[in-house]
Amino acid sequence: MKAARIGAILLLALVAAGALMPERWAAGRYDQQFRELPDAPPSAQFPLGTDAVGRDRLSRLLYGTRVSLLLAPAAALLSCLAAGLLGGIAGYAGGFTDRAIVSAADFFLSVPWLLLLLIVRACLPLDVSPAASVAITFALLGLMGWAAPARIVRAAVASLMDSEFVLMARARGYSSWRVLLRQLLPNVTPVLLAQFWIAVPAYILTETTLGMLGLGVAEPLPSWGGLLRELEGVSPLDQPYLLAPAILLAAVVGSLQLILPREDYPV
Amino acid sequence: MNSEPLLSYRVSAEYRGKGAVLRDVQFEIGQGEIVGLVGRSGEGKSTIASSILGLLPLKGGKCTGWIHFQGRDLLSLRDGEMRRVRGKAIGFVPQSPLAALNPNLRLRAQLDEAWRAHQEGSPDWKPLLQSVSLPDEVSFLRQYPRSLSVGLAQRFQIALAILHRPALLLADEPTSALDSVTQGEILSLFANLNRRYGIAILYISHDLASVASLCHRVAILHQGTIVECGLAEEIFARPQHEYTRRLIAAIPNVPGRSNLDAGGPSSDESRARGILAEHGV
Repeated sequence: MKAARIGAILLLALVAAGALMPERWAAGRYDQQFRELPDAPPSAQFPLGTDAVGRDRLSRLLYGTRVSLLLAPAAALLSCLAAGLLGGIAGYAGGFTDRAIVSAADFFLSVPWLLLLLIVRACLPLDVSPAASVAITFALLGLMGWAAPARIVRAAVASLMDSEFVLMARARGYSSWRVLLRQLLPNVTPVLLAQFWIAVPAYILTETTLGMLGLGVAEPLPSWGGLLRELEGVSPLDQPYLLAPAILLAAVVGSLQLILPREDYPV
Repeated sequence: MNSEPLLSYRVSAEYRGKGAVLRDVQFEIGQGEIVGLVGRSGEGKSTIASSILGLLPLKGGKCTGWIHFQGRDLLSLRDGEMRRVRGKAIGFVPQSPLAALNPNLRLRAQLDEAWRAHQEGSPDWKPLLQSVSLPDEVSFLRQYPRSLSVGLAQRFQIALAILHRPALLLADEPTSALDSVTQGEILSLFANLNRRYGIAILYISHDLASVASLCHRVAILHQGTIVECGLAEEIFARPQHEYTRRLIAAIPNVPGRSNLDAGGPSSDESRARGILAEHGV
């Protein structure tokens, strides 16, 4: 298990290095077109060949890794902050506020998100700029993901509110703010951190799904999902190098699962 | 003892859906006095402590009556005023010392938090830790509660409770989670704090032997009322109420203990055994 974890960390480090310095490994920028060489098979210059408009696939894969690996943690951070805030308020306040927030979370969990996303993106103009598409994907992932962790945070805070040491803090005359920031928060942080690490691989996969449907990051900016669209209508047996993004995706998500913190926290 | 009592208590209390727990309970605590509050589990002893601290609403209870403390009625104080009484004028020592410490904060942080609840800056912790016989080293305060024994945790709780030099200390069964040797140490610590700082103590317990060793006066709580109240010696010598007699009769007797006591060091614990033995218990 330990060897597997070390292997996973090494692999992630390698991927990060590749994504941070694409120009070292690849022939050109992700949108640089080698017009005389479209659809080229793998060669020394283009290890993964070029796509239909002559762009270097390795370069696009490395830039796409950068986009996917930045987007997912950022969205996970957004949803965990929202979860911490709303779940914390629900558990702390109790009563009507609690019921309102839990109902909202239940509602969010019961919505078929993929269908809703299709509808929302269908309403938006098709030619959104790459930056806007990144922002929209980020916001969608973050906003739809707050509900499940919020319920977990709420349960943790509610049980902490009944705990001896929080009652004791009140018996010592701590103000509500000090109870919240210094007694509850240090005990909720591990819960939120665990939720963050669960969310990152999940969001990488979701972003890929959106990208494959053409709803994620917009061209010419590459992302894993966008790159996988190339597999449409092509047999991977004929062009196995097209599977590179899928293999990288599986390896990264698997590695993240391996290095997830697994300690049990006292809550 | 001053003529004006430090705390004068007259309260009826009930929990939502459970009916009355305290029925017109009355007692007084003088300046610097140790009062023992005795009764079996579920007789409402902890409710009395919660009501003095104004924490009953958090547990779904409410109380009527008055609690005069230092010239004010605690039950009529607003939340903000009551918060400044808790921990500052009235300290609290809990029943389970480890559960009452935040598991994810170092002891130093918990000490600072307890200080900043009422004062700026940070406390002078060396003499504080010395006064409760804890190691006065930085390495001790760097620990998390999980590495403390129950006895050390209870000493630390007492240190937190006397941090602001309260006039009154509420101790809610502070020794029931401890082994008998540590119990004796904690009891003599209470007696010490009382002598040295003149802190009055409301000592809540079901353990009559410890009450006999520590307290000046004793109140016996049964079914939500005080059935008997008086000087410790008198209560143990001439119990008036049937329930008190049953409590005293239930104290276990160890054969040959009087010999042991005669030769051993005179702790408060053995003084208690002595008082009880004198009266043929």
